[in-house]
Amino acid sequence: MGDAIVNVSAWIEGLLLGTGLSEPWVSFIMTVISAFVIAFIPVVIVIFLVWGYRKASARMQGRLGPNSSGTWAGPGGIVQTFADAIKMLTKEDIRPAGVDVIPYNIAPILIFFIALVVWAVIPFGPGTVIGVDLNIGIFYIMAFSSAALFGVLMAGWSSNNKYATVSAFRSVALLISYEIPQLLSVLVVVMVAGSMSMQDIVGAQRSVMYLIALPLPAVIFLIASLAEVNARPFELLEAESELVAGYQTEYSGMKFGMYYLAEFINSVAVGAIFSTLFLGGWQGPFVDAAPILGTVWIFAKITLMTMLWMFIQITLPRLRIDQILNFNWKFLVPLALANLCVISIVNKLINAQASDWTRAGILLLTNIAIALVAWTLVALGGRQKRRQYEAELEVVA
Amino acid sequence: MTIQATHETLKAKFPDAIQDAHAPYTGLIVDRDHLVAVATALRDELGFRYLSSVTGVDYPAATDGLPPRFEAVYHFYQSEGGPLVLHVHADRENPTVPSLTPLFPSADFQEREAWDLMGIRFEGHPDLRRILLWEGYAGHPLQKGFQEVYYEADTKPFDSRWPEGAPVRAESRVPLGRNLRYPADFSMQGWCPTDDPWGYIAHDQVADLKDTAHPTDRVVLNMGPHHPSTHGVLRLLVTLEGETIKKLEPVVGFLHRCHDKIGERNTWLGNMPYTDRLDYVCSMSNNLGYAVAVEKLLDVKVPERAEYIRVIMAEFTRFINHIIDIGFTGNDLGIYFTAMLMGMEERELIVDLFERVSGSRMMCNYMRFGGVAHDMTADDVAYARQLAFERLPQAIDKVDQFFTNNEVFKQRSINVGVLPAETAIAYGCTGPLLRASGVPYDIRRAEPYSIYDSFDFDVVTRQNGDVYDRYMVRLEEMRQSVRILQQALNRLPDGPIMDGKPKGLIKVPAGEAYGRIEAPKGELGFYLVSEGGNNPYRYHVRSPSFVNLGALEEMCKGYLIADTVIILASVDITLGEVDR
Repeated sequence: MGDAIVNVSAWIEGLLLGTGLSEPWVSFIMTVISAFVIAFIPVVIVIFLVWGYRKASARMQGRLGPNSSGTWAGPGGIVQTFADAIKMLTKEDIRPAGVDVIPYNIAPILIFFIALVVWAVIPFGPGTVIGVDLNIGIFYIMAFSSAALFGVLMAGWSSNNKYATVSAFRSVALLISYEIPQLLSVLVVVMVAGSMSMQDIVGAQRSVMYLIALPLPAVIFLIASLAEVNARPFELLEAESELVAGYQTEYSGMKFGMYYLAEFINSVAVGAIFSTLFLGGWQGPFVDAAPILGTVWIFAKITLMTMLWMFIQITLPRLRIDQILNFNWKFLVPLALANLCVISIVNKLINAQASDWTRAGILLLTNIAIALVAWTLVALGGRQKRRQYEAELEVVA
Repeated sequence: MTIQATHETLKAKFPDAIQDAHAPYTGLIVDRDHLVAVATALRDELGFRYLSSVTGVDYPAATDGLPPRFEAVYHFYQSEGGPLVLHVHADRENPTVPSLTPLFPSADFQEREAWDLMGIRFEGHPDLRRILLWEGYAGHPLQKGFQEVYYEADTKPFDSRWPEGAPVRAESRVPLGRNLRYPADFSMQGWCPTDDPWGYIAHDQVADLKDTAHPTDRVVLNMGPHHPSTHGVLRLLVTLEGETIKKLEPVVGFLHRCHDKIGERNTWLGNMPYTDRLDYVCSMSNNLGYAVAVEKLLDVKVPERAEYIRVIMAEFTRFINHIIDIGFTGNDLGIYFTAMLMGMEERELIVDLFERVSGSRMMCNYMRFGGVAHDMTADDVAYARQLAFERLPQAIDKVDQFFTNNEVFKQRSINVGVLPAETAIAYGCTGPLLRASGVPYDIRRAEPYSIYDSFDFDVVTRQNGDVYDRYMVRLEEMRQSVRILQQALNRLPDGPIMDGKPKGLIKVPAGEAYGRIEAPKGELGFYLVSEGGNNPYRYHVRSPSFVNLGALEEMCKGYLIADTVIILASVDITLGEVDR
């Protein structure tokens, strides 16, 4: 079968060259086409994801979800999402009085832009099946995803709405603090893989994926990412029951639609980044024989991660802002730091000639040791606190 | 101490200030100037620490040898037994009564309501503003002379509705309403009340925050009336420092329809469907409360089968209310409807039963004076048995399994919204809210109505008075409800379901009565005055949600906005009942 995607792109390139266009022009047109395709992937995914989310939440809640009873909405109600998208596009765009016009209008564009831009460095298959294989790929992702904060802040502040402002306050606290453990756990991966390029990180997981070698950074990254994409139990920025819709409260029509899209795209992107960093990206059985399978594998992994996200989203309650920050600063950050320090030493000590499996085994054991130490410390702290509390009770009694 | 003995003690203590009320009225008439002294004695010496109901009655003509007057009526309770009723007379021209709010914070909202609707001024009330009506409203609608928009006649049935034998809607005849009155200088555009426009003054006086350790700006936030977790149209005026609550004030009345005035126009039985709309989650309980109150005046004997059916319906209603409330708490915690729909599933099955017996799922209109409207067939009983013995116990276990040990839920609810027992009693809180604070007060035990004294059940209490304990009390009360249901269904006797023939137009003997039941949300009381006619002379609802809401500020101060919503969910209010 060969590498279908590469073949198709080579075929188009050949066509263009055949028309007599010069080399630079052809490569420019090819870039535009691939950018379009890559930007298109998440948007299409989201349209089906929204449907999937509705279906999944309905099934978890003992309902049917979208279906065709009543008016026709396609098999399993799949047309509903398209109708929603059309509705969103045609709705009136209301701008409340007293908003700060420029940031108010830039914010949704910025957030949507950032949500799409991240996809440029996700490898969808071996070789060149990637937007652009930057040698600082993961750094690029982290940098852009922190910039999303500006969008939230702009929207919250410019909306002239107290709920939106409170949401912006929270976003500063939440997003900045959870970036730290996220970054620290990514650093571990970068260190072990020896590169920041996404393709190299995937390549480094050829025999054993990092989820097995580095389970602790994986878990920390997952938790921090859930916070970054504002999913439950960290869903504070638009905590529906507290802040109405948070920073999106004053948006309507397609501006709101862009936030909505961006939220789903980000959630999928987290799945994609996690798959690349820890689940081996496009690596999988038979990829060498048929490179197209790599694309299948990565999408399967993204789907798996998205299902996990949905499950958490639908079943967990939300924590309070101080509890979330406490958890981060008093547990996640120290743990991630300790993890980074210990693994950097251990990784250096392992013989460079050691096989991938030996290296993974040693790293896994180190991870387990760190986890056990952390667990013991937490348990000790909890016991001490309980003793203190009981002593206080006795004083009262 | 019995009520009679208390009367004697009080009369001995205040010989000049107290006299017995004339039959058919009950209780004591207290001189206005001595009211505070009498109430203090009641609270501190005689153990009547719970002021249940404060309301007013208008007597525009001289009756029973008394001059035209306003009466403020107070119902005090001790830990067991019936009410001690105090009547305080106020001059009709300038009605003032000393306020009991400093002694009993539970009087706060109720005195404001009596001022708002009846026009009795309570001197010494810290914040005597209108509560249910808007600030610019002209007049006090419960005064007997007040005629509302579209006024037709004093009491139903209105003959004008049937001019030539065909029904006519009054609204079609008077498009703007002849009785519509606006305050002076009122214009529809840009109206703004002068003294305290939106209730902000008290919030401006919250202590200056600049001198605290971390000075921040004060933010006054309007939570609601359009807010997803105020369970209806409730406006919470919140002063924040950062996200910490410094002051909180519930602003209510958005659903106000003057239930009391409608009740006075209606016939006695005609009120029954209106009570469904009070707490629209528990219409059966509301029916029962009203029936119990009117039966006190009527002196009818409810047949045993009807009593059993009433208890069965009331306990099913309690189950619905509690499981829905737990679900909504989950909603406010952010569990994306999953918990609520879990409760809804059980509720659907129970309202199916209501539909079978009464014909309606939510607005049941099922109880009658002296019985119930329809009998339960053998099929209905079998269905109810299936629910009570198989389905519902499992449902409780499911809730228990998902919530009780959920780490996030515990983090969010333990030690949040703590209400100490003393405060709870002072604020007149009832129901699960009070029992979670460690006060074992349940009207089904304290002053048994219907046949509750013949059932085995526990009064559930917890000690800490936080959100988690309120959840635990509700969970355990559902178990007790199922226990009562199982006993009732096992013992359900045969026999008639009505005392005598069902009648539409009932004449109720003159007198006053305060009937109260343990509704799922707390004490639901109906204060009724009859002059022997087809219609109530005074019809007042003491709703648990309204009074419990008064303690919200006490519970929320010092916590975060995020906590407010779950504290509110744990108080469990229905706005239909708050605003009436």
